[in-house]
Amino acid sequence: MTPRIKSVVLLVGIAALMAGCRRSSNISKEPEHGIANGKMDSMLDAKPDSPVHTIVMPHDEPLFPPGPGHDEFVAACVVCHSTRYITMQPRFSRTTWLSEVNKMKNVYGAHISDEQVVKITDYLLSVNGKPDSGQAPKGTYGE
Amino acid sequence: MNRRRFFQLTGAAGAALMASPDRMTSVLGAPSSTRDLVRFPEKTEMILLTDRPPQLETPIHYFRQDLTPNEAFFVRWHLEGIPTSVDLRTFRLNVSGHVRQPLQLSVDELRSQFEPISIVAVNQCSGNSRSFFEPRVPGGQWKDGAVGNAKWTGVPVKSILDRAQVKAGAVDVSFNGLDAPPLPSVADFVKALSIDHARDGEVMIAYAMNDQALPMVNGFPLRLVVPGWYGTYWVKALSEITVLPNVFSNFWTDKAYRIPNAPNGTESPKDLAKDTVPINRFNVRSIFVRPDPDETLHPGMPNEMEGIAFDAGYGIRRVEVSTDGGSTWADARLDSEIGKYSWRRWRASWTPRNRGQYRLMARATNAIGETQSKEQWNRSGFMWNVIQQVDVKVG
Repeated sequence: MTPRIKSVVLLVGIAALMAGCRRSSNISKEPEHGIANGKMDSMLDAKPDSPVHTIVMPHDEPLFPPGPGHDEFVAACVVCHSTRYITMQPRFSRTTWLSEVNKMKNVYGAHISDEQVVKITDYLLSVNGKPDSGQAPKGTYGE
Repeated sequence: MNRRRFFQLTGAAGAALMASPDRMTSVLGAPSSTRDLVRFPEKTEMILLTDRPPQLETPIHYFRQDLTPNEAFFVRWHLEGIPTSVDLRTFRLNVSGHVRQPLQLSVDELRSQFEPISIVAVNQCSGNSRSFFEPRVPGGQWKDGAVGNAKWTGVPVKSILDRAQVKAGAVDVSFNGLDAPPLPSVADFVKALSIDHARDGEVMIAYAMNDQALPMVNGFPLRLVVPGWYGTYWVKALSEITVLPNVFSNFWTDKAYRIPNAPNGTESPKDLAKDTVPINRFNVRSIFVRPDPDETLHPGMPNEMEGIAFDAGYGIRRVEVSTDGGSTWADARLDSEIGKYSWRRWRASWTPRNRGQYRLMARATNAIGETQSKEQWNRSGFMWNVIQQVDVKVG
């Protein structure tokens, strides 16, 4: 399929983020002892007879604290993906976060300047960073 | 709402979060041993990695069943624009390119005009178990649940290509789905196989998964099934097949999903491989499904250890189990083979004599002698098959 128009996508992204502001009730904690629920049947959505099959995607995106670079982060990153792309990562060093942000700019074409790359990297480091060990792996693609 | 107002709102919400310590912990606290569960349409409760695009992991206890229920099967999309509505009256699978007879096939035509086949096959994400690599690497932080085993029913790609009459000189076949990039600068997710691989009679277009329609987030209405190969090739919501007289080239093949051209795709963090190849078939691995790591066992009480093992289709020939951290090993019993691309269940009885901590390990070997590694690393966190260690307490 052809890519959608950017402005439309930006609106969708913002709408999704706004939807994410309401913490929906379909999230719970993984039980620590693993073995859970046998009631599979009740969890199945009935397949409609209609030839048109439609689902509505839930969005549960964590809100990020204010701080330097927060606005640049929100504007540049949530257009294409959930903030959970940050929260699911372990704490990474500056080298790794900088590599990730540069990948978004240079490979996927995020609309950010070099100055914004630095601001966003600083922000990611402040919310999910760790000191540089000097051996941090740089990110690659498709992961 | 204008952008300024939007940022004011999110800023205010963020400030509210800052003022609420317990909420902060849940949002950006230290990594927790438990992960969020989430329920998506047509799915049961899954471990939430990301919601947009969705990446959902299967809780391990589902692997106590030979076939992974559709509603619990893992989900991994790349692009923000995933299909959420499909009209079967207008949906067509388009077959074009280096063929004499381009085709536009409805799902009904695929079901009624072609001889169906069924294959039980494991689908595993290239990055399954990525979170176990040290040093850690960026990407989907899966544990062992980005894998599943299902009975796939559909039409061999060979049958469709035969009807389309592939011209002489075909080299590759590319596969594209309904998902769309969020920006024009992001490459559409398209994957390719060699013409010979695509025509091997096993690579298939599935319209059913465990005898039911596929859940939308697992690729409704059609999904490419590439038995023995990593999930990146199993294109979801498949809508375009293009036969090419040249080698296919795009970002997702040339730059992404590549592994070091070295045994088991391994390299050193200090000396990254220069020579890389596209990821391809599964290596061999096994996963414990019993006992639970947090379970407390009792001295003198018999236990049944259990797990699954699979490879690229050569066949699991042996699984050995250790209960003393790898000092001694004993053969596990193998359940009968379901199919060469299915996983195979193994079981081993164990009666711990004394109280204390025990380290359980399992090591699978396949029919061509491949076995599991003791250590492994690559920059993308692909193909994890290090021998699993499960620490249990006997008390």
